[in-house]
Amino acid sequence: MSERNEITFVIDGVEVRAPEGMMLVDAAKRGDIEIPVFCYEPKLGPPVGACRMCLVEIEGIPKLQTACSTPVRDGMVVYTQTERVKQAQNAVVEFLLVNHPLDCPVCDKGGECPLQDIAMGWGPGRSRVTDPKRHFRKPVPLSPLVRIDRERCILCYRCVRFSQEVSEDEQLQLLERGPRSYVGTFEDRPYIAPFHGNIIELCPVGALTSEAYRFRARPWDIEEAGTVCTLCPSQCNVKFTVRDERVMRTLARDNEDVDDGWLCDKGRFGFQMIHSDERITEPRVGGGGTLNPATWAQALERTAEALRKAGSRTAVLIGSQASNEEGYLLQRIARQALGSPHIDSRGGQPIDRDTLLELSRPELGAAVADIDRAESVLLIGADPLNDMPILDLRLRKAIRRHGTRLVVATERPTTLDGGAEETARYAPGEAAALLADLAAELRPGDGASGPYAEDAQRLAGELRPGATVIIFGERLGHGPDGEACLRLVLECAEALEASADGAGLLEVPERTNARGLREVGCLPVAGPGLAETEQGMGADEIREALRNRELEALILWDIDPLRELPDPEGWREALAAARFVLQVGAFETPGTNPNVFLPLETHAEKEGTVTHPDGRLQRLRPSIPHPGATRHGWQWLAELAALLGHETGIDSAPEALAAIGEDAPIYAGLTHEEIGGLGVRWQEREAAKNLPEPAASVGMTAVATAQAPAQANGRLRLATYRDLWVAEATEQSPALRFLLPKQRLELAPVDAERLGVAEGDEVELTANGSSIRARVVVRERMLPGAGFVVEGIRDANPNELGAPGGVEVEVARVEPESPELEVIAAGGGR
Amino acid sequence: MPERRLLFRNLDEPGLRTLDVYKRRGGYRALERAIRELEPDQIISEIEESGLRGRGGAGFSMGKKGSFLPRGDMPKYLCCNADESEPGTFKDRELMFKNPHGLIEGIVIAAIAVGAQHAFIFIRGEYWDVADVLDAAVREAYDAGLVGERILGSNHSVQLVVHRGAGAYICGEETALLDSLEGKRGNPRLKPPFPAVQGLYGGPTLINNVETLMNVPHIIRHGAEWYKRLGTEQSTGTKVVSVSGHVQRPGNYEIELGIPAREIIFGLAGGPPPGRRVKVWFPGGSSAPVLTEEELDLPYSFEAMAEAGSMLGSGAIIVGDDTVSVPELALRTARFYHHESCGKCSPCREGTNWTVKMLERVVRGEATPMDLDIIASVQENIIGNCLCVLGDAMAMPVGSMVRKFRHEFEEVIERARAAHGGPLDAAPDDVPPVPLGVHA
Repeated sequence: MSERNEITFVIDGVEVRAPEGMMLVDAAKRGDIEIPVFCYEPKLGPPVGACRMCLVEIEGIPKLQTACSTPVRDGMVVYTQTERVKQAQNAVVEFLLVNHPLDCPVCDKGGECPLQDIAMGWGPGRSRVTDPKRHFRKPVPLSPLVRIDRERCILCYRCVRFSQEVSEDEQLQLLERGPRSYVGTFEDRPYIAPFHGNIIELCPVGALTSEAYRFRARPWDIEEAGTVCTLCPSQCNVKFTVRDERVMRTLARDNEDVDDGWLCDKGRFGFQMIHSDERITEPRVGGGGTLNPATWAQALERTAEALRKAGSRTAVLIGSQASNEEGYLLQRIARQALGSPHIDSRGGQPIDRDTLLELSRPELGAAVADIDRAESVLLIGADPLNDMPILDLRLRKAIRRHGTRLVVATERPTTLDGGAEETARYAPGEAAALLADLAAELRPGDGASGPYAEDAQRLAGELRPGATVIIFGERLGHGPDGEACLRLVLECAEALEASADGAGLLEVPERTNARGLREVGCLPVAGPGLAETEQGMGADEIREALRNRELEALILWDIDPLRELPDPEGWREALAAARFVLQVGAFETPGTNPNVFLPLETHAEKEGTVTHPDGRLQRLRPSIPHPGATRHGWQWLAELAALLGHETGIDSAPEALAAIGEDAPIYAGLTHEEIGGLGVRWQEREAAKNLPEPAASVGMTAVATAQAPAQANGRLRLATYRDLWVAEATEQSPALRFLLPKQRLELAPVDAERLGVAEGDEVELTANGSSIRARVVVRERMLPGAGFVVEGIRDANPNELGAPGGVEVEVARVEPESPELEVIAAGGGR
Repeated sequence: MPERRLLFRNLDEPGLRTLDVYKRRGGYRALERAIRELEPDQIISEIEESGLRGRGGAGFSMGKKGSFLPRGDMPKYLCCNADESEPGTFKDRELMFKNPHGLIEGIVIAAIAVGAQHAFIFIRGEYWDVADVLDAAVREAYDAGLVGERILGSNHSVQLVVHRGAGAYICGEETALLDSLEGKRGNPRLKPPFPAVQGLYGGPTLINNVETLMNVPHIIRHGAEWYKRLGTEQSTGTKVVSVSGHVQRPGNYEIELGIPAREIIFGLAGGPPPGRRVKVWFPGGSSAPVLTEEELDLPYSFEAMAEAGSMLGSGAIIVGDDTVSVPELALRTARFYHHESCGKCSPCREGTNWTVKMLERVVRGEATPMDLDIIASVQENIIGNCLCVLGDAMAMPVGSMVRKFRHEFEEVIERARAAHGGPLDAAPDDVPPVPLGVHA
């Protein structure tokens, strides 16, 4: 926080102290004086002074001034209660109601409506308007998720400012002018943008209503429950609106250090999955493709029996949304009850523990809020919009409001390219080559000389040592050069003095609680607190070990290997070969055929903690009772451990957290109270010094020379990307289902021409004897020679084609009339 | 002879709009003097010394405005406001059409004075023919090295662009003009920051009216002392007055400020047609509070008009004789501002709309005297509470009409009541709903 002078000003006769330059409307609150506002919302950027609700009298200024745009100065004398001010406030309320329908009894906003409250508190209390009001057809869909009632709209500009200045999709506009003005889109097209749900919450009247919430509850029917959204690594703070034990909507719970008070639409509307009819809420026991409902006792007994038999020949794979407590207990069951080190929450090949320790160094970690103040940001190997959506808004804010210089180096174009000072593209699988050049370029006295030297020079020129936040994707750590990539990220960090205040590294993980799970011991290479441990197998090795029956039992926690992990064919065999599979999930996944299926909680029911990618521990609180027979994960895991002869002594969520603190010294002494509503970064606690020292220090990393640039060999090198909407939350929430993507092949215009395909064509992609279908999307700013398809689409899963990140494929156009295929380009790669 | 021709001198000479003739009449000598003999700061102090006040409506000292721009090396801009849209105002049109180089010379001198490297003429879209004339003159000036890089061999460079507006009154408001020029919806911005500090593209910007800038070459050529001798102490120089309405010789007249209004309306414009009397007149465009016959002998100057509760504004006198119905005049005035309100701030958007609806009822004979109180009160609620002055521009004249001619409003209401022969049964809510917008 920058130090600002405290000044004293007088408001309604009371002396109040406030930081100099604070807007009067905020400073007044320090003297317990509320100045009513409609258009003022600091989250949206500088004030616009449009609604005129906040007029106040300031000594020495003849005209009334808007408190939202007047910074306080020392000695300022302000009046908010004089006749003149009251008349102006009455007048503005009266003006706003001239055209407002006052249909409060049937309005969703009624009871939680700023216009209602302000009309009550600051309005004249009677109407002098006898003339007809303006009319619009209403309510009409603004998008499939939002309805707009233009008669209720008081034209405060908030939603338009959000679209123009926060999410920068610039779709919402104010059309027409004067009293005929209305909010709309160009040619009345639907407003489709990943963050547009925020406008519902911004609206100070009932003009923008949620399609998923309309007429489903009134403010006096509901309760609000604060927790954290675990649908993606952004871990936004949310409030669930609960009515009759059901979640009715999701609202943002402002946390400047995490989400700035915004939510993406997946987080906002994905709550519908909680009450999906397809959700499994009771234990099931069976095998060979059939499962029958069972009691918890039966299911746990059956599981314990099988695991006792398998013992150390058990492996655990943990997916996206597990809490720290769940992950901790799972690894404890594996390591201590069963004696198996084979536990992985990362997928792919394990990363060296020393590298992880280096990446976790407290002084190297950047907090999300550091992005705001960074002079430059290097975004490498991550696509915020799809991987960690709220980061996209944070970067836009940094660029727009603080002049941060963004530098993007990714294989696929990102939505932030337009605001970046420099962008560079590397061919799929060649991240290490670019990173090596960048690291060399950044090192004093060295220079880039590799294939990406020119790119590296451009990028490096924009980066300020000591004031740069490096945002990198966890996916850089996958593939044959994974370890090298992460080492090179560390080298770049060192050259950029990332341990300086306000600078640092921020990893964009692939899974929600990746950082927490890593830190509580869910990796084959490190125990709780990244302690040294017996080396276990990573996901790839587990698959192979299951296939050749080295391993017998498998626990799948919220993960579908057939969909999420490489080599689905191998996994099908592995699952078939396993003697026992325990799957823990909320929904059935075709093909996994577990012997026992246990129901998983959603984030609305869970109790525990998760760790944000920047190290902030956040608390999940149960918002609704458990549906059906679901139970707290930590609870039945402790029971399972006991059944396996390992008594944990854990009887409550706080005890589970305390147990983590004992085993993982970096989390030592953490309590729910300390984490509180806004979370706490472990790097900023005393216990951070307990992070083990890496054995070897970072040295120069040698990288195998890059493969021939993809464009030279005339084939299409295929890579995958994650799409924001490929998620259970989208599939299981009726409101979001329209956003489920179909498989698409993105390629550069030159490649489209070379392969004779055009936008919208259906093509078949073939490699390693498997093929998937996709629609062609031609994109500018793509590197020639590279093609991208979406990960995790069930009926067109690119993992079927072989190793991700660089497989070469044949592309054949599927003629719409005939099913005959025409081979256009033949690739090598086999 | 009440006329005093300064900007109008030689105005009707054929070919004045060409560089040759303009130069033959002494054109661009002021620019030469400004470049060869004066430092930029001296130009500003000369203008300040002359007492030249803005001719666009607000009447703010141009020299003072120029001195607000920060010194130093940064992108600065000059915008000439040629979005002449105030009803009754048509002076800039004639000035630009007949003497485009007079404006260009003023712009270049002012740009050099404040250090602006880029200048724009924001001209209202309906003046397409004038814009063509300006374009031709700008091209000539570029070719002659009077605009562009290294003007007249000096180190000063000014790029000049003529930008055609899209037809919104609000774009004559200086900050809305800037937004429009930047390619955005023409909405006024919150002030502060003022354009002199943070204007076009965030850079310091000087914005002046056409007529103001056209005074600059005269001041630079003849000196502030000479200029100050014209007009009154607080309203120096001449003013081009557009007289319209019920007068026999409507048109533009250049006068020395401070002469009685009667001399303009009767002496120059010939007064109302024979047998009619002046009933109501706007001294400074339709946004000025109206004056009556009794106020015809006031001196026509910024200060005298302000003292009378009105304003000199853009210097557009609109005269209404005794055939004019003031309630209808009020409605006509309100409708204009209702149509042109940008809709950004609540008092203007809703106030203009509500006022029009009430005045329509008055004119239709569906109002009561109580409505007149509401109309008057609504005008008071608008004045001073808006984001820009457009709301005030309606509220001031309408408020003044209700105040000064209340009896006439009451007569209209009474006539309707009498004709109806009983209490009113007006039921405004019976009007069928008319949906607006895209689904209309």
